[in-house]
Amino acid sequence: MDSAIAQKTWELENNILTVETPDPSSDSIFYYDEAAQAKFQQEKPWANDPHYFKRVKISALALLKMVVHARSGGTIEVMGLMQGKTDGDAIIVMDAFALPVEGTETRVNAQADAYEYMVDYSQTNKQAGRLENVVGWYHSHPGYGCWLSGIDVSTQMLNQQFQEPFLAVVIDPTRTVSAGKVEIGAFRTYPEGYKPPDDPISEYQTIPLNKIEDFGVHCKQYYALDITYFKSSLDCHLLDLLWNKYWVNTLSSSPLLGNGDYVAGQISDLAEKLEQAENQLAHSRIGPLGPPRKKLQEESQLAKITRDSAKITLEQVHGLMSQVIKDILFNSVRQSSRSQNDQSGPEPMIET
Amino acid sequence: MASSSSSGLTFKLHPLVIVNISDHYTRVKSQLNLPPSLTSTSSAATSNNNNNNSNGGENNQQKPPRVYGCVIGVQRGRTVEIFNSFELIYDPSTRSLDRSFLEKKQELYKKVFPHFYVLGWYSTGSNAQESDMHFHKALMDINESPLYVLLNPAINPAQKDLPVTIYESELHVIDGVPQLIFVRSSYTIETVEAERISVDHVAHLKPSGGSAATQLAAQLTGIHSAIKMLNSRIRVVHQYLVGMQKGDIPCESSLLRQVSSLLRRLPAIESEKFQDDLLMEYKDTLLITYLAMFTNCSSTMNELVDKFNTAYDRHSRRGGRTAFI
Repeated sequence: MDSAIAQKTWELENNILTVETPDPSSDSIFYYDEAAQAKFQQEKPWANDPHYFKRVKISALALLKMVVHARSGGTIEVMGLMQGKTDGDAIIVMDAFALPVEGTETRVNAQADAYEYMVDYSQTNKQAGRLENVVGWYHSHPGYGCWLSGIDVSTQMLNQQFQEPFLAVVIDPTRTVSAGKVEIGAFRTYPEGYKPPDDPISEYQTIPLNKIEDFGVHCKQYYALDITYFKSSLDCHLLDLLWNKYWVNTLSSSPLLGNGDYVAGQISDLAEKLEQAENQLAHSRIGPLGPPRKKLQEESQLAKITRDSAKITLEQVHGLMSQVIKDILFNSVRQSSRSQNDQSGPEPMIET
Repeated sequence: MASSSSSGLTFKLHPLVIVNISDHYTRVKSQLNLPPSLTSTSSAATSNNNNNNSNGGENNQQKPPRVYGCVIGVQRGRTVEIFNSFELIYDPSTRSLDRSFLEKKQELYKKVFPHFYVLGWYSTGSNAQESDMHFHKALMDINESPLYVLLNPAINPAQKDLPVTIYESELHVIDGVPQLIFVRSSYTIETVEAERISVDHVAHLKPSGGSAATQLAAQLTGIHSAIKMLNSRIRVVHQYLVGMQKGDIPCESSLLRQVSSLLRRLPAIESEKFQDDLLMEYKDTLLITYLAMFTNCSSTMNELVDKFNTAYDRHSRRGGRTAFI
C-alpha cells in the first residue's frame, strides 16, 4: 500500500502523463464481422461450460448512456438493453439503449411489453448502420448496490435459456455519485441445479437491511464477470480535450450537498443493523453454551457494520475535504487581516 | 459564412452527444476500412490492420465518410440544452432524407425521454458546407430554427480546443437576395454529476475499489488536476497583465474590466452564516468519524472478549483447559 502511495506521489510531482497514442488500429474492435459472429452463434461453446464467459468489455458510449439513464430515473429502477458481440470468452458491449418500462416488482411481465420497442429499435439501428445484436440487459438499483435480486435471477435464467449469449448488468447511480466512482456489476447466472466448483470471494458491498434477505438467498446462483472499458482513438482525443472544459465542474462539485439524503439513509440503516447485532449479542450472553457457530456469525456481522461505517465516513470526509479546499482557495483572500483562529482546522482523520 | 450569432441563445452541450457522434463516425469508418478477411489471430490481426490501414489510407484519400444524425434536447427560454442524439439515414448524392426513419426514431425516443424533442442535426467534417444547408432546410419543418452541430474527426494532437462547433441559421440579405447562412455560436459543456464521474472514469481509467488509501489518492489526484488547470489559467492572465503593465501589449480596457470584475468576486462568500454552516458541516463529519471509530473499537473489544471467553472458558465441557483465574 505504501509503495502505491509513493508511486502516485512521484507521478504527481513529475507530471507523468501516460501518453496513450491514439492508434487507429485499436479501433478494430468497432468492426462487426457478421460471418464470424454467426459462426460463433452456431458453435455455442457456452452450452457446455456455465462459466464460459469471464470478461466484459464495455465501450465508453455504452457506459455513459447507461449511467445517465440510470441517474435520470432517480429512485425508480430503470432498465434497458445492450447491444454488442462476443469475442472468445469476453462479451463486448458496444451500445446501450433505454426501454420505456418502469421497474416494478412485476418486471418479468414488463419484458413482454418492451419486446415491441426492442424490435422496432433494433430494426432502425440496423438500417442506420449499427449491425450488432442485443447481447444483454441492464437495470439500476438506486442506492442498494450491484447484485441480482430474486426476480432478476429468474429473468436472467430465462434469458440465458432462450437468448444466449446474454449478460445482466446492474448499475447503482446513487452510490456512483456518492462514492465518486462508477458502481457497476456484470453477472451471469448458473443453470438450475449447478453447483459452482469454488466460491469466488466477490468485493464486499453494503446491502440495506430490507434487501439483505433477498441478496443472501440468491447470491450463490450467479457469478460476476470482470469489467474493462475501451474507447476509440477519436474518443480518447475528444475526452482529453473535454477535460479542458469541465475541470471547472470537478472543482465545483459538492458531494456533501448532493448526497445528504442518501447518507442519512445509510446511517439509519446502519443503526438498525447495529440493533439487530446487539440483540444477537445479548442472546449469546444468556446462553454460554451457545454453539460457536452463532458467535462467528455475530462477529462477522459486527465486522461488516464496522466496514460499512468506515465507508460512509470515508465518503463524508472526501466531500468535506473538497469543501475545505474550495473555501481556502476562494474565501481566504483577506485572511491576513482577520484573526488566525480559523485558518485550518484539525486535519480530518483517515481510516486505514 | 461564420460570423458570430446574434440570436442571444445560450447553448449547453452534454458530453454524451459528443461521444455519440464520435462512436457513430468510428463505427462507419471501421466498417468501410477493414476488409472482411479478418479471421486470423489478434496479433496477426493488428499487423494486418496496420497494413490494411496504410492501404486503406491510400484508397481513402477520398474524404472519410460523413455521418448524419439528429440531436435532441430541451429548450427552456433562451437556454438550449442538448442532451442526446441518434443517427439518421441521408443520401448526400440524391440529397434525400429518409423521413419515415426519422419519424420512427423520434417516436421511439419520445417513449423513453418524453421531455426531449428534436433540436437540430449533426454531421462530421472540417467545415460547414453549402450542401449542408439543404439538410438544414429539410429539418426546418420539424423545428423552425434547427441547430447544426459539426464535429471535426481529424485527430490533431496540437489542438487545444474541442473540435465541435454549433451553427445556427440566420436570414441575411446578401446581394439583395435574402439567404440563409450559417453563423457560429458559442456553447458551454454542461454535465450532471453522474455523467462527469463516468466520463472521468473512462477518460482517466481511475482505479475502482481498493483500499482507502487508493481511494484517497484518486480523489486528491482529481482535485489536484483541476486546481492545476486553474493555476495555469491564472498564470496566463497574470502574464498578460504584466505584459500590459510593461507596455509590451496594448492596453485593452474591456479585458481589464473583465479581469477586475473577476477579482472583485473574491472572496466568494464572506458572511458569518456561511462560516457557521461550514463549521457545522465540519463538526458533522468529525462526529461521523468519531462514531465510526467507536464502532470499530467496540467491534474489536467484542472480538477480544469472545477470544478471551473461548480461551479461558470455565463452562466448557470439553475440559482439558483449566481456568487461570
